[in-house]
Amino acid sequence: MANKKFKTSETVDFIVVGSGASGGIIARELSQAGNSVVLMEQGPRLSPGDFDHDELKVRQLSGITNNPAVSPQTFRDDPTKKATQRNGRNPLTYARIVGGSSAHFNANFWRFHEIDFHERSVLGSISGTGFADWPISYAELEPYYTKVEWEVGVSGLAGASPFDPPRSKPYPMPPLPVKSSGVLFERGARKLGLHPFPAPMAINSILYKNRPPCVQCGLCGNFGCEVMAKSSSVWTVIPEAEATGKCEVRSESYVFRIGMNPKGRATGVHYFDKDKNEQFQKAKAVVVCANGSETPKLLLNSATDAFPQGLANSSGVVGKYLMFNKGGGAQARFEHPLNEYRGANVTRILQDFYHSDPKRGFYGGGGMDARSGGPLGWGQDTPEGTPEWGEGFKEYLESYTYWMNASGHGTSLAVETNRVDIDPELKDAWGIPAMRVTYKDHPDDMKHAAWQRDLAVEIMDAAGAKEIVPGEIRNGNGGVHLLGTCRMGDDPKTSVIDKYHRTHDVKNLFLCDGSSFVTSGRGQPTETIEALAFRAGDYISQFAKRNEI
Amino acid sequence: MQVDQPISSRRQFLTSTSILASSTWLTMNWPQIVSAAEHADHAGHDASIAAPTSFTTLTPVEVTEVEAIANQIVPKTNTPGARDAKVIYFIDRALGTFWASELPAFRSGFAEFQAAYAAHCSTTAPFSAGGNARQIAWLHEVDSTPFFQTVRRLTLVGLIASPKYGGNFEKVGWKLLGFEDRHVWKPPFGYYDKDYPGFEAYPGTKPYMA
Repeated sequence: MANKKFKTSETVDFIVVGSGASGGIIARELSQAGNSVVLMEQGPRLSPGDFDHDELKVRQLSGITNNPAVSPQTFRDDPTKKATQRNGRNPLTYARIVGGSSAHFNANFWRFHEIDFHERSVLGSISGTGFADWPISYAELEPYYTKVEWEVGVSGLAGASPFDPPRSKPYPMPPLPVKSSGVLFERGARKLGLHPFPAPMAINSILYKNRPPCVQCGLCGNFGCEVMAKSSSVWTVIPEAEATGKCEVRSESYVFRIGMNPKGRATGVHYFDKDKNEQFQKAKAVVVCANGSETPKLLLNSATDAFPQGLANSSGVVGKYLMFNKGGGAQARFEHPLNEYRGANVTRILQDFYHSDPKRGFYGGGGMDARSGGPLGWGQDTPEGTPEWGEGFKEYLESYTYWMNASGHGTSLAVETNRVDIDPELKDAWGIPAMRVTYKDHPDDMKHAAWQRDLAVEIMDAAGAKEIVPGEIRNGNGGVHLLGTCRMGDDPKTSVIDKYHRTHDVKNLFLCDGSSFVTSGRGQPTETIEALAFRAGDYISQFAKRNEI
Repeated sequence: MQVDQPISSRRQFLTSTSILASSTWLTMNWPQIVSAAEHADHAGHDASIAAPTSFTTLTPVEVTEVEAIANQIVPKTNTPGARDAKVIYFIDRALGTFWASELPAFRSGFAEFQAAYAAHCSTTAPFSAGGNARQIAWLHEVDSTPFFQTVRRLTLVGLIASPKYGGNFEKVGWKLLGFEDRHVWKPPFGYYDKDYPGFEAYPGTKPYMA
């Protein structure tokens, strides 16, 4: 079906800002419910043939991600310091194409567990944090997790983990084939009495929903999937939204301000088109799904006389409580080649230590996986004692196929001073005030990461590794899991959106993406972002039908 | 498009999959299709890569000296080194285009490197003219400097990045790592998954599939 086109002067029912994991789903849900929708995306729309295996372009030259040269950010680890740009790098990275970060993710799809939603009630407060319960429960979200798995497509083995949360249906596809890192990880973990299991991945293992199975090219993380096996919005829900004839995908359209009227209602969005001309699209309501960095930036840059500290920010917490998912791990070398550059990046995980255990003396929980990546970057860092150049270094380079990673993924605590706000001086290539990032890991996050690293070493040792390189635990200075910056809650004084993703301050403005998170979860947020999006789409459609927007 | 015709390009293949994805035929023929596409893709890709023959950014002196440093970072042994991989062409291109902002610091670091070498060795001959032992000894003196670290980083990227950027000539960098440039893989991927017996359920669990 030809892409629907709306005029900017036409008042559409909804504008959805951001076409990633959540935006694509919400656009589908709203358009399938009969609403007219314009789905705005900063970046271009790429076809499968536009994705390639060029590691330099994708990993180091911002081929499909936000580019520091035109979308710069500043960083500081202390709110009393002046934030600065760092050597051509941005602290916060996301894909800037139709499909958003769902196009370039690794596709690890972990559900949250029940504890994630009410952990504050179980453990009590944690000093120096905004640790809080979610206003919704796992049981409320479970049907939407199932919907993600079946509508978008997830492969895995239900019930394999003794720690699996309750589920109403199995995965629609069997797990992907195990690779050597998965076998070794499973071997080591089982020897320690742990319970590794096949990784749930948003990658087709069989022909599913008219998309082919994975060809095991090995380049998932950071890359778009050129055979469409990875369950990205651009191949899954967005075409379904367009098929309604009521949804226009407007790519290369950079929304920089939300329009407001004197009655305190959103009227549409101001944006730059691909020629950098300013446009205004009218709408009855706006749903921002721009990710945990761009969503607060847009609200803060939309300040008006009535909302002087930013839109929907009467609580003052827009942009605050930024979380990344901290973790620790180890690299290990084995006797024979693993060839980890082949196959989907992750095939085995464990969640034995998902819950925080007060006996450890710090807060933190998570999971661990066996993973790998492409060759570019190999040798930039070397294990202690390995030469950094010369013949000995070359021998290290030649050992590339013998190594794997055991990587921990865990909690990051919500700290009020960790935030995204607006840099007072820096502007982007469109003249829009740029984002400033302030971040320092909570001490418990550092301790938990070190604990995970030690566990990874233990597992790799039990697996028979010939050499193990424990990862360094450094203070986080950026990330790709952008969480918590417009948190959900019942109290308008301490949160930005209610449990239905409606902002407390603006009745026809909704937010849904990683910014909605109250806690970080244990490392893999995308399935939860997508479950929230299906749920939000459901409720917002009902509100529209009942004329409650 | 006829599905039983040879697929001449990767793009053509990708277009065809979107048309045919729902068919049983695709399920049955997927591996063969992809293999054909992969072969076509890389055959075309390789043919399109011409070895670079000229420099656009670095001076002849810089080319000679930096290549000599790079070739000590990844030396030729019984396998090719940085010179064989033509990483200097990558460095020339990188500093002239996507990493051009680093060129001024690179040049001032190079000048310091040359001056320090001349003073330390009491010679007017350049680093590249020194013997192997002298070169190695001097690089040990300066291998923590920002200039050396920059050359090291560029050498590695030039060794491993796609040949289309000028280095990794004839994929010698990938061959050095044991990385085989293919589009499609099937298990077993490595030594340890060859004889994997299958996932064994834990007591008390009941894994189930759709």
